[in-house]
Amino acid sequence: MVGYILNLLILVSISGILAGSLNFIIGYAGIYSMAHAAFFGIAAYTGALIAMHVSTSLLVAIPVAMALCAILSLVISLPSLRVRGEYFVVASLGLQMIAFTVFSEWKEVTGGLGGITGVPVATLFGFRLRSLESFLAVSLFCLAFVTLVIYVLARTSFGRNLKAIRDNEVAAAAFGKNPTFIKTIAVAISSALCGIAGVLYAFHVSFVNPESFTVDQSVLIMAMIIIGGTGTVFGPILGALIIHLLPAGLTYLTFLPARELASLQQIIYGAAMVLLMIYRPSGLIGRANIKDTWSK
Amino acid sequence: MNATTDTPVLRLKGVNKRFGGVVAANDVDLDLPPGIITTLVGPNGAGKTTLFNLITGNLKPDSGLIELRGQSLAGVDPRNAALRGIARSFQDLRLFEQMSVFENVLSVMERSALPWQPGGRAAARARREKADATLDMVGLTGWRDARAIDLGYAEQKFLSLARILVTDASLWLLDEPASGLDPASYDRFVKLVRGRLSEGITICLIEHNLDIVHGISDRIAFLDQGTVLAAGEPRTILNDPKLAAIYFGERR
Amino acid sequence: MLLLQLLVDGLQLGALYALMAVGFAIIFGSTRVFHYAHGTTYIIVGYLFYYMTERAHVPWWLAAALAACAGVIFGVALDRYVYRPIQRDEGSFFTVFVASFGVGVVAENLVIILFGASFVSISTPLTRANDIGGGIVISWLGIASMLVAVALFAFLNWFLGRTDVGVALRALSENPELVRGFGLNPRKLSQYAFAIGSLLVVPAALVATCVTGLTPTAGHRVVLISIAASIIGGIGSLRGAGLGGLILGLAESLAVWKLSTGWSEAVAFIILFCFILARPSGLFGTRARV
Repeated sequence: MVGYILNLLILVSISGILAGSLNFIIGYAGIYSMAHAAFFGIAAYTGALIAMHVSTSLLVAIPVAMALCAILSLVISLPSLRVRGEYFVVASLGLQMIAFTVFSEWKEVTGGLGGITGVPVATLFGFRLRSLESFLAVSLFCLAFVTLVIYVLARTSFGRNLKAIRDNEVAAAAFGKNPTFIKTIAVAISSALCGIAGVLYAFHVSFVNPESFTVDQSVLIMAMIIIGGTGTVFGPILGALIIHLLPAGLTYLTFLPARELASLQQIIYGAAMVLLMIYRPSGLIGRANIKDTWSK
Repeated sequence: MNATTDTPVLRLKGVNKRFGGVVAANDVDLDLPPGIITTLVGPNGAGKTTLFNLITGNLKPDSGLIELRGQSLAGVDPRNAALRGIARSFQDLRLFEQMSVFENVLSVMERSALPWQPGGRAAARARREKADATLDMVGLTGWRDARAIDLGYAEQKFLSLARILVTDASLWLLDEPASGLDPASYDRFVKLVRGRLSEGITICLIEHNLDIVHGISDRIAFLDQGTVLAAGEPRTILNDPKLAAIYFGERR
Repeated sequence: MLLLQLLVDGLQLGALYALMAVGFAIIFGSTRVFHYAHGTTYIIVGYLFYYMTERAHVPWWLAAALAACAGVIFGVALDRYVYRPIQRDEGSFFTVFVASFGVGVVAENLVIILFGASFVSISTPLTRANDIGGGIVISWLGIASMLVAVALFAFLNWFLGRTDVGVALRALSENPELVRGFGLNPRKLSQYAFAIGSLLVVPAALVATCVTGLTPTAGHRVVLISIAASIIGGIGSLRGAGLGGLILGLAESLAVWKLSTGWSEAVAFIILFCFILARPSGLFGTRARV
């Protein structure tokens, strides 16, 4: 039972990092990326490969994965941030699909559909993080770190720049800001932070395969933000908690067929997303009116 | 206030712009002399905002030249225009609506795209102080932490002005900045704007209301259908019956 | 010759992609809704068709007609009960998109519960390959689908060019600023847009059920191809969307010459990226810059 809870908390921490880093661009900058699962996957595969061939130290895997994600984010940023925002959504979806294809087809590196198994135990300063307790401590630390980074950035001039661009990009440019550059940096930061989650995930479950990094996963992360609320730093973490507790809660409703639980959860998230968009677009926490960023 | 004969801060010469069949700017020649307020007037759709857009690079002219202090503004985009010392306000304000009043004014001074601004803590503190001082000047200190979208109409107009005041721009392009203000607010507004002229700022206003144009302008340019019909002393232009007829819609 | 065969296959695929893409473009152009659930229409039509022919033993032509109706009803209902309420409350582009996505997630998982997560397909003699000379093979279904595509495009040409509603839809696609102030009833117009747009997905869904098989997650690819084709062809141009679909179908098919099937599916998105990078207004687009 304790192991179950520890495992759950580790997953919540990882999801909290995913949701928080995505909210950084969606909530603060109004940049809607659907490719977060792709970066999650890229980091996970990177972490797994480094662990198996180079070093099991988190202090090696995490920075490398972060750097790789930041650089690869330029693939969607550079083409699409120069033009209308809708293109970024489409480009991110396209990247998500391409990433899935790469994960499934580049068998020499990613192991294809079977993925990579047998990822060794993570180490930190020489200590092997074999117990769930130790890994949870590290995960929580990473979550706190990511949340702190986002919180600090949001309160500085960079956060204001993001919000200015979100609120009125034309005015922001008219006052000398460089929206494209600012958005590119924001996306790079978001992707890099997401990379931390990917590495932690790879070590925790000790295997990676393409199925964990599909569009549905991107949707799940989006659902966490939407349900938890985009306006605050803690909203995404709440969303992550709810999304992870829901399956556990559902198992208590014994009249539901167990086989279909995963699909039922998804149906609940999907329905929640639709209803929230109709009645309360900013989620459970967060302010009641959300700025229409695409209005002309 | 005399129209000066010094080299103009901004010069437009032979500027043309068409959108399909619509002539937005027709062979426009316009000079903005330094240190005074030039007002653009004319009926709706005359092309006044279009000229601002052409100057700041939101639109590219089909032909003609635009020079800022003798240097061409060809190929400039709005961001470059800002970096070269042009500050522009919008008819629809374009405030950063979800941000606070204070943040609106502060953010204007934070141009660097990087997660930090140059100058370190001292400069950051100076910017905050300047923002607060500017809010005090426009009378918005009481609204400092309110969201821009929650402000009343007049307050929003003053916030828009505050954003301009806080820049170090030397050429201001203000698009109907005071329209709809009550007389007392309007006077306060004019005082604030005029107060800056002595610091070497050059101002160009678009103003719709002919009644108040007289009080604020040192020089007037009258536009209609993209053409500058007349430019000169306010008294002359405003007393010209032909122009009045155009303004009030009696076309040939 | 392999290349020629791939070309023929590509034309079949391109025809179906073109239909889907134009359907999406009509909807997006006239209502400005990012109708991600376009892919959901596809799986609803496909799975209903499958259920009725394989399980309920309904004659195929009736099943196809019923499935088509279901698709149209789905599209129109979504507009009425989800998109319009959101747009009424000043919903942003993205709010509508998330709602659309949510609908897709619900439908996808309902399908998983009802039909399982693996492929379903219908076996029919129509899919048998016939040699038409020179070693090129094509199935009756392939021929039929191209004919249907041509017929539908001819219909569209007439409809969009000659009827009041059609002209209005086309004008709106090319000039979204007219959306608010147009003379015709905007509600009725959007109903037509969703009805026609959803109808255009039907051929692709029916063919896929017979040939490649359906999976619950197929919807994502459908709508992304439609969007990619619209961007490549140029947002605002319905003909462009059709051409974009044709290009993507050909590219995907021809890519098999050098790449495995898995990689060839990514080709469409690589082309999309190239267009966003180099020519975001697409081939015939009217506006793209901020």
